[in-house]
Amino acid sequence: MSGSAGGGPGTTGTADTDAVLRALADPHRRDIIRLIHDTELPAGQIAQHFTLTQQAVSQHITVLKKAGLLGERREGTRRLYRFHSDALMPVRDLLEEFWPDALQRLKRAVERDHPKKKGATRQ
Amino acid sequence: MSEPVIATVRIAAPPDVVFPYFTDPALAVKWIADAALLDARPGGTFSLDVRGNPARGEYVEVDRPHRVVFTWGIEGRGDFPPGSSTVEVVLQPDGDETVVTLTHRNLPTEEHRRSHRQGWGEFLGILGEVASATPRA
Repeated sequence: MSGSAGGGPGTTGTADTDAVLRALADPHRRDIIRLIHDTELPAGQIAQHFTLTQQAVSQHITVLKKAGLLGERREGTRRLYRFHSDALMPVRDLLEEFWPDALQRLKRAVERDHPKKKGATRQ
Repeated sequence: MSEPVIATVRIAAPPDVVFPYFTDPALAVKWIADAALLDARPGGTFSLDVRGNPARGEYVEVDRPHRVVFTWGIEGRGDFPPGSSTVEVVLQPDGDETVVTLTHRNLPTEEHRRSHRQGWGEFLGILGEVASATPRA
């Protein structure tokens, strides 16, 4: 267990604001982020939430990945995706929001470190 | 004086699990800081590097696992110096979960106050507007 602890938040600063905004200039891609901003999901499960073809969804995922908004992790044959809020920093600095996001990070960290035995609660 | 900023989150773990994330440097780097130096007792050092910002202050109250209070400011920022504002974190058990309520008081300016308040949903909403107005490549 505990795959990649230590090291803390990795890559920062490379995503440029234009690329981020362009990646977000699509409602489907924003929906993808909403879907995973609090959790980590395989591509297949992301696709299930949309009426798009799996291929279209994977294209959206690619755009988000290139903008640095998604992180990809392999687990066996699956690829799991999660949101990289660091990529929003250039934009976020502009908008300056902090605590609500920090608390969401806290939630993710605690619940990842201490998964519930029974069904995990969401929200 | 400006209104406090209040943010809250529900976490699927009991308070004694959540609390150390506010006091243990090894856990603080998992969610809020790139680097942390924490001495969790009244008067102890509270030092986090948050996205390149040196957040500095000291612990005021440490009542584990219920409540922790620390001061907060940014080193080198004359308008927001270390110790100038206060963050109170209350951990309320609810079944085997915890409701975390964070109250940030005495933020120096209206700008800071607003900046700390915007939630993720609101943020995405704003981005949506900005992005929709951005011509597609």
